[in-house]
Amino acid sequence: MGILSWDEFADLALKRLAASGAEYGDVRIQHSVTETIHGEDRRIASISNIEDSGFGVRVLYHGAWGFAASSILSLEEVPRVADLAVEIAKGSASIATEKVRLAEEPVHHDRVVTPCRIDPFSIALDKKTDLLLNTMDALHRQAGIVRSSASLWARRDRKLFLSTEGTYLEFDLLAGQGDCTATALHDGRFSSRSFNTPHLRTGYELIEEADFAREAPRVASQAVEKVQAPAVEAGLYDLILDPEHLSLTMHESCGHPSELDRALGYEANYAGTSFLTTDKQGTFRFGSPHVTLVADNTEPQTLAATGYDDDGVTCQQWDIVRDGIFVGYCTNREVAPQIGETRSRGSNRADGWGSMPIVRIANIGLDPGAATLDQLIGDVKRGIAIEGHGSYSIDQRRYNFQFGGDAFWLIENGRRTHMLRDVIYHGITPEFWNSCDGVADRSFRRRYGFITCGKGQPGQSGWMTHAASPARFRQVAVIRGEGRS
Amino acid sequence: MTGVAVKSWPKMTSREEFRFLADLVLTRSSGDHTMVKLHDLHSGTTRFANNQVVQNVDTRRGILAVTVAFGRRHGTASTTDFTAGSVQETLMRAERIAHVSPDDPEYLPPPGPQSFPVGETARPETELAGPARRLEYANEAIGQCRMENLMAAGIVSSSVSSVGIAADNGLFGCETRTDARFSLTVQAGEATGWNAAAHRSIDHLKIQERTLAAIQKAKRGREPSELPPGQYPVVLEPAAVAGLWTWLLWSLDAKSYQKGTSPFAGKLRERMVDRRLTLANAPGHADLLGVGFTADGLPSGPSTWIDHGVLTQLAYDRFTAQAQGVQVIPTLDAPVLSVHGAACGTVQDLVKRTDRAILVTNFWYIRSVNPTNLTLTGMTRDGTFLVEKGEIVCAIKNFRFHDSPLRAFQQIDAWTTPMEAVTAETGKMLAPAMVLPEFHFSSVTRF
Repeated sequence: MGILSWDEFADLALKRLAASGAEYGDVRIQHSVTETIHGEDRRIASISNIEDSGFGVRVLYHGAWGFAASSILSLEEVPRVADLAVEIAKGSASIATEKVRLAEEPVHHDRVVTPCRIDPFSIALDKKTDLLLNTMDALHRQAGIVRSSASLWARRDRKLFLSTEGTYLEFDLLAGQGDCTATALHDGRFSSRSFNTPHLRTGYELIEEADFAREAPRVASQAVEKVQAPAVEAGLYDLILDPEHLSLTMHESCGHPSELDRALGYEANYAGTSFLTTDKQGTFRFGSPHVTLVADNTEPQTLAATGYDDDGVTCQQWDIVRDGIFVGYCTNREVAPQIGETRSRGSNRADGWGSMPIVRIANIGLDPGAATLDQLIGDVKRGIAIEGHGSYSIDQRRYNFQFGGDAFWLIENGRRTHMLRDVIYHGITPEFWNSCDGVADRSFRRRYGFITCGKGQPGQSGWMTHAASPARFRQVAVIRGEGRS
Repeated sequence: MTGVAVKSWPKMTSREEFRFLADLVLTRSSGDHTMVKLHDLHSGTTRFANNQVVQNVDTRRGILAVTVAFGRRHGTASTTDFTAGSVQETLMRAERIAHVSPDDPEYLPPPGPQSFPVGETARPETELAGPARRLEYANEAIGQCRMENLMAAGIVSSSVSSVGIAADNGLFGCETRTDARFSLTVQAGEATGWNAAAHRSIDHLKIQERTLAAIQKAKRGREPSELPPGQYPVVLEPAAVAGLWTWLLWSLDAKSYQKGTSPFAGKLRERMVDRRLTLANAPGHADLLGVGFTADGLPSGPSTWIDHGVLTQLAYDRFTAQAQGVQVIPTLDAPVLSVHGAACGTVQDLVKRTDRAILVTNFWYIRSVNPTNLTLTGMTRDGTFLVEKGEIVCAIKNFRFHDSPLRAFQQIDAWTTPMEAVTAETGKMLAPAMVLPEFHFSSVTRF
């Protein structure tokens, strides 16, 4: 990319920032490779290998931000971009009424590498395409399946972070995922059922251990059963939500409202604000005593566990909801001091070199309880077990939500019976979490990740992992998802 | 004008430079077919909240993508490094992928040389705009809100891009596109008002006019009443109409139609919505973001998709089009939804002639609930009001809707002429405001 090393380019940029009189600045240089293989209807529709390189310079000048970035890493471009970032920051400062003050953070020197057994980029492509073609063949062996898809995704990020405070961080991070979907057609209706590995920071062992050969026939069979299943009758039901489904429920109804920048109004024009306003911290009953939601950006393999965030702050573990009470936010160095906290939680992330980092949901997980899954189901007279992700929508303060799912089973008198279709449940976030009266134990705990969490303007994709054991919610409003209910 | 001096942007990849880069690839490729795509983007956004700038960014990213095919085996690689060595290495990566790819029965060679329409996809005033212009506009919106003791949150953005496509069979296209955007949410305590614009010309964002409209909405939104969920007549502003119609547009995929997994399956040339509604593509319209060519290298052009309520067109990929004998593949990059018949002038005119209805400024978080009949859900946002006897009588708490545009637009009672409609989650289209006799709100939220 150039005649200088990354260290030398970063040093060149930091020297410009230091000379400008800025009180803080950092430089991120990044090279990302993304491999995506997508199969559709028994063919490999696309294979792409995307390389994305560049650098971003962030400057705090007189308490206001400027950011500039470029994919051209050269002796001419680095000073130009650094100077532009300063110039932009000066413009921001010219109309600022309140100055940004960053929470203190120790200086770090470190190198973070994703441990992996099998480098996903070392696996021959034909082995991967064979896996997807065999998976789609298996899906289509089930009568009634009319469409299929199967995909593999892998990403490597090499990143260098340097700040004017002296922090020096190197990253070599991996992530991967695989999935397949079958669509069944019956009587003019169509329904899909999917199998997804979690998105995790690990190697190709994630795919090898997933056993697509076992999962594909199950998914296909359930897609057919689902499309032929009776539609749900609207009413109040107890719900047993599986970990994959809960990952989305937690993400939308707990994760986003716990982002402090939202609570402070930074996202008012797009993603929205939060019903978890700062006056509620420490006192508001978010859920029942069974509900403890912990942010853990230190758990190995999870997407937000990158050692340090894009503020150069150490990844940490902290409580969001403890025994039902809302106690903590996801923060960065800018917003933490605004609620009197002396250190950032280390949850400030950008989706690449070209984006300015913003507060992101942490790896928020539901703490396990003590029950078995059979015990949770056994105490349900009339309920629905929901697996996987389906339709989802929530208001801009995260009160009113509506979720579907990927598969639904009717529970009657403590037994899971047959599948249902068109199940949609809705509610108000704190009422819903207060209806939780049981969480399965740690042996049922599973993790699911997101890489498409949209937030910010310009839009960015956030990455995080949410873990849970199955949980039970009492008397939730269910409607039929086929129009008016 | 505030403190930041206007600075010229770095030079974008020119048509000649793209041809040079493309030739660098095409003359060295060992593939049976090779295609090169350019997307060189220089964009900037000034973002503000709580009446001050919270993010102020400027990013340059050039992407060159190479697709190589050997027979029906194909692969794609891309790079952001335009040096000769990197471009050639990208070609080799694409060749390596294509060599080991399985045959794709749906693969088609790139289209041959095309005649692309030359439209005004770029405006010099947007190309020249930089951080200073964006900051000036942001400050204008913030200033108006400060004077009213209200809080402003929003963005001003501008971008210029060089977009190119070339193939070894003579296909070549390269055009400059500009894009300028403004969106604003005004907070009056718990109430919010919103407005937004997107245009090729930054001169056309109408900051003052849109800021005043958002301020008015926010002030009117105070102390909302709560109405029970149920069926209501609605006055949908253009952004709300566009939000629902965008999902309808996304569901026009011809392959899904053929496989029976489309809400329109078997309904081509049938009436889908009110017979006065027509949906067309108008890439040459000065207020839309039409392009000269698509990502597949096909020319964009005017076309009709729904004609007097009847579905007349589907969105074809090249393989499905060939299989179905479709010669010219229509594009839908600049949609215009219009209503035949006498139109009202403004949203206010619609309100005046309405006895009782819910006025919806915008919808938020629209998602599919049931793809078989295109049932959608979403929330009203940033200005939801009760209209009675021709007047807005009060703000109401936001509703969740649960309905299908295929049902809701079966009958429209009144409408305006098409207006610019932009939402945070969808693109831009021209759409009228409309009065619908019945729309289903399934629940209500706390604000």
